[in-house]
Amino acid sequence: MPQHLDKSLEQLKELVCSIHSFSKEEWEEFSALWKPHSAKRKEILTHPGEVERYLYFVVEGIQRVVYMDEQGREATLVFTYAPSFGGVLDSMLEGVSSHYFYETLSPSAFLRVSISDLQKQGQHLKAIESLIQKGLVGALSGVLERLVEVQCYSSEERFRSLLKRSPHILQRVPHKYLANYLGIDATNFSKLLNKVKL
Amino acid sequence: MKKENSSHLLERLEVQAESEIKLAIGVFQNLSADVMLQPSSKVGWSIAQCLEHLNSYGRFYLPHIKSALEKHKHSKPKVFFTSGWLGNYFTNMMSPNSGKHYKAFKNHIPTTTLDPASVVAEFIAQQELLLTYLEEAKKINIGEVKIPVSIAPWVKLKLGDVFQFLMAHNERHIAQAKRNLP
Repeated sequence: MPQHLDKSLEQLKELVCSIHSFSKEEWEEFSALWKPHSAKRKEILTHPGEVERYLYFVVEGIQRVVYMDEQGREATLVFTYAPSFGGVLDSMLEGVSSHYFYETLSPSAFLRVSISDLQKQGQHLKAIESLIQKGLVGALSGVLERLVEVQCYSSEERFRSLLKRSPHILQRVPHKYLANYLGIDATNFSKLLNKVKL
Repeated sequence: MKKENSSHLLERLEVQAESEIKLAIGVFQNLSADVMLQPSSKVGWSIAQCLEHLNSYGRFYLPHIKSALEKHKHSKPKVFFTSGWLGNYFTNMMSPNSGKHYKAFKNHIPTTTLDPASVVAEFIAQQELLLTYLEEAKKINIGEVKIPVSIAPWVKLKLGDVFQFLMAHNERHIAQAKRNLP
């Protein structure tokens, strides 16, 4: 539905221009590359071993980048939801196999651009290179902040910090994924939940 | 016997599963233990017991469905699915509109000592699996694949019927659980 697409593109424009400003002509050329895409709950968009072929912009729903190994270890690295970018960033930019899954945790809607299209256009559109550079720095900043949390904060502090960033997440995501993100087991999560609710 | 387009059947069951998962995530998993364990005011199961009852069915059927999907992954889907008479009978029996009250079978009666958080967590995990199985089933012949019945394992039902009666059963007990919401 065209109207819906316009609204999504508006949101994308807002995010993109908050990172690097595009001129009207640059935006017109850039925005034409983005196509709508939807996925059901628990759909895997990227598997480990695959190269990430798309940069996603989340319009609706929640997704996660997750590490899983043969020993049964699971690490939810990041949740993505509107309005933010998604996909496995290092695989995408390096063109190497992903180490992680990118999967939906709810029915989801996106705009997405193929990396090959992006790279082709990026050869003459310098704004793309600037966007990627600045976006990467932002992502790195986020990762460093999270490292601090993981090393220095108690699980309760990290839980409160998560709720502060995403106040509705308790009603939008099964708690097991939140517990996994926080690095705690289900019993401790329940205890924290009861404590924080009071 | 009832004949339905296979993809439509699976799709409508997915829509139902999706709305039940959403309810469990948005509401049930955030209820206090007290509310979850409160027996129905009309002398019946608590929300936790309703979900645990559904879990007991999932514990039997989901592994069977998984191995059936794996075993028959080379079967070709048929456009139409026709219910078997027994499958149809079970589905109608489970439907919330059947107007009948049934006592649960012995191995499906939920205890009263439950941990509500793990009951909801298991329910959500099972429904997530069911959703992916419904999607996968679109690629195979759901009339050809047979699954044993939990209360009588020598009886086998078509996969399409198992999906239907599981979802009718879900609907029945989710409706019952919702009646307990404050």
